[in-house]
Amino acid sequence: MFHYRTQGYNGYAVKYSSFFDNRLACAASANFGLVGNGRLYILGLTPGGIVGEKWFDTQDGLFDLTWSEIHENQLVVASGDGSVKLFDIMVKDSFPIQNWQEHQREVFSVSWNLVDKNTFCSSSWDGTVKIWSPIHPTSLLTLPTNSCTYSSAFSPHSTHLVSCVSSDSFLRIFDLRIPQATPLPPSTAQPVPAKPAIQIHVPGNAELLTHDWNKYRPEVLATGGVDKVIRVFDVRGATGSVSELRGHEYAIRKVCWSPHWAGVLMSGGYDMSIRIWEDGCGGGMGGGMSGGGGRLLGVMDKHTEFVAGLGWCLFGGGGWAASAGWDEGVWVWDANQVVAGMRR
Amino acid sequence: MSATDRLAQISSQLTSPLKSHREKLLIPHSDDIVITCALRTAHTKGGRGLFKDTPAQDLLAGALRGVIERSNIDPSLVEDITVGSVLPPGGGATEFRAAALVAGFPVSTAVRATNRQCSSGLQAVVDIANAINSGMIEIGVGAGVESMSSQYGPGAVTEFSELLESHPEAKNCKVPMGVLSEKMAKDRKIKREDQDAFAAASYQKALVAQSIGLFDEEIYPLTVKFEDPKTNEIKTITVGKDDGIRPNITAESLGKIKPAFAKDGSIHAGNASQISDGAAAVLLMKRSTAQRLKQPILGKFVAASIVGVAPLLMGIGPWAAIPKVFEKTGLNKEDVDIFEINEAFASQCVWCVNELGLDMRKVNPKGGAIAFGHPLGSTGARQVSTLLTELRRTGGRVGVTSMCVGTGMGMAAVWVAE
Repeated sequence: MFHYRTQGYNGYAVKYSSFFDNRLACAASANFGLVGNGRLYILGLTPGGIVGEKWFDTQDGLFDLTWSEIHENQLVVASGDGSVKLFDIMVKDSFPIQNWQEHQREVFSVSWNLVDKNTFCSSSWDGTVKIWSPIHPTSLLTLPTNSCTYSSAFSPHSTHLVSCVSSDSFLRIFDLRIPQATPLPPSTAQPVPAKPAIQIHVPGNAELLTHDWNKYRPEVLATGGVDKVIRVFDVRGATGSVSELRGHEYAIRKVCWSPHWAGVLMSGGYDMSIRIWEDGCGGGMGGGMSGGGGRLLGVMDKHTEFVAGLGWCLFGGGGWAASAGWDEGVWVWDANQVVAGMRR
Repeated sequence: MSATDRLAQISSQLTSPLKSHREKLLIPHSDDIVITCALRTAHTKGGRGLFKDTPAQDLLAGALRGVIERSNIDPSLVEDITVGSVLPPGGGATEFRAAALVAGFPVSTAVRATNRQCSSGLQAVVDIANAINSGMIEIGVGAGVESMSSQYGPGAVTEFSELLESHPEAKNCKVPMGVLSEKMAKDRKIKREDQDAFAAASYQKALVAQSIGLFDEEIYPLTVKFEDPKTNEIKTITVGKDDGIRPNITAESLGKIKPAFAKDGSIHAGNASQISDGAAAVLLMKRSTAQRLKQPILGKFVAASIVGVAPLLMGIGPWAAIPKVFEKTGLNKEDVDIFEINEAFASQCVWCVNELGLDMRKVNPKGGAIAFGHPLGSTGARQVSTLLTELRRTGGRVGVTSMCVGTGMGMAAVWVAE
């Protein structure tokens, strides 16, 4: 396990680069993101541990980041002042190369389109999801949710599907191929907002804080939130969850499917733990098939404050992960060891 | 984007992992079925009141016109209108369609009539809500109307066949309301004094509410023809007030009235609902539609229940229907700020309230059908405007409307005011 201290800044998100297996970025905020500056850390993995290679300071707190899928040195961050910023690591000064100020409130998630690679999405407490292009000065599209939206993501299987979860306990999936403006009724002046193609009311009626698309099964997503339950959904027709994973003692801030094993995901939240799960429907760790319902595989308990950011390493045999929390700590660790430790 | 907002959001995620059912109901969702206009005509005394010469179809046309005028909705966006009504031949389907056209709706707005006896108005509103929920329509009006002056009488029920007469429980379906309520009052030992006290309170509450203008917001005044019974002169009058509400009614004054259905009975004209004329209408759509059209959101429809009971015990309907809607919503009686329970008879209403253990102060705070009338098909739709205006005025949020239904049924619905 490797550790890096983001001194004075509380971690909100951490992501591995999709281009280099030794590069990470962490979005962090001073004063737990309540008030004050934000800082974007670029971290390098070296034989001697984690090294801070560069950082960018921002006016307001940073709550999420996503690496560009077309440019190995660029990444986008979500800021508390409603802005979305694009940074380039190679640029000498510490300013973003693009700054989009459109959201009316805190931006809480950003996520790159993994298929098309030319767009990314953001979601905000202002009740909208926006679609952007790094080369376009304004957003391409605004999708309304009318509810504080903590998490949004492009499907890793389709360039047209954008999903999000909100505090109204809905999981929504927008299909960007469906025309956005249906014919205007004569009495309305403003454009008709887009309707989600799929809208699932998640049981529990609690605020949803995070969700993620399964990397192998195009129709499967997991959600997590204030009711402490991870729910795995198959969006084909059925509106009920396929499995429920219970164990977290406080709200879940992040769920993340493994890029290596179809049935494995990790989660972290306010109980300071990171949990590794098998959902019981897909491939288990080490490539074996799993079955018979979801189960907890292991717990990573090094964090001493809320866990907010999680990310899997895309390279190697699988199992390396990074986590960031309000304890000013970034940990890089091997999930295989966490699970093996649990078995002993 | 203040620190306190951020802190409040994080602490709510930590401290209230599971909200109460009431709190969950209060959370606005974009697919809520919301009410953007709810109104009624005045209720007037059957046979003698100011609408005695106004047919049901004209009352309905007036109420529907009121919806267009007050909501400012483009009538061509309204896809369907359901009208609850009990007495008109043919259910009223033909004249209601015509009345919608008169009111200003285009030919593209569909209309139908529905009849579930005294809950027809509520059934109409619920049917529209369900049609919106299922995606069949986007915007609709649930309404109710009754002219008891012109259509109340023996002709309203078809003769029973030998087959129906041969079945004991089926036969009970045509026992007159007064007779069976008298029997129920005796069986359930509902004292005359309790009925009279409940009825007098209804009059007194309605009188206060009317005198300080609490019905003004919901009543849409209609200008109609009226034949003066003394002079036979036909006048044009504007009716904007209920004319059944009377002053100086006390439990003692009601105690002097002779029972109407049995010599030793307890039910009389003063502790039963008035025979009246009136109409009511409710405009519904999804919250997302209302926001798009900039319609004012008065409240939302949450859930409804329907339940059957023995025909001779039709008065217990709310006692059976309210727990059923509580079960659907997870609410309990403490979660409800106002109950609008139709006062078909003081006997059955007071029995239901006591059996359910409801706080009498939460029941019909502006009086009910005993004081201002029960135009059968209209009442269920009327309760929506009566409830929402009072919840909004008093800062209450959750309300229940309910009524007993002839032939032995009960219906109830949960609403949230905003």
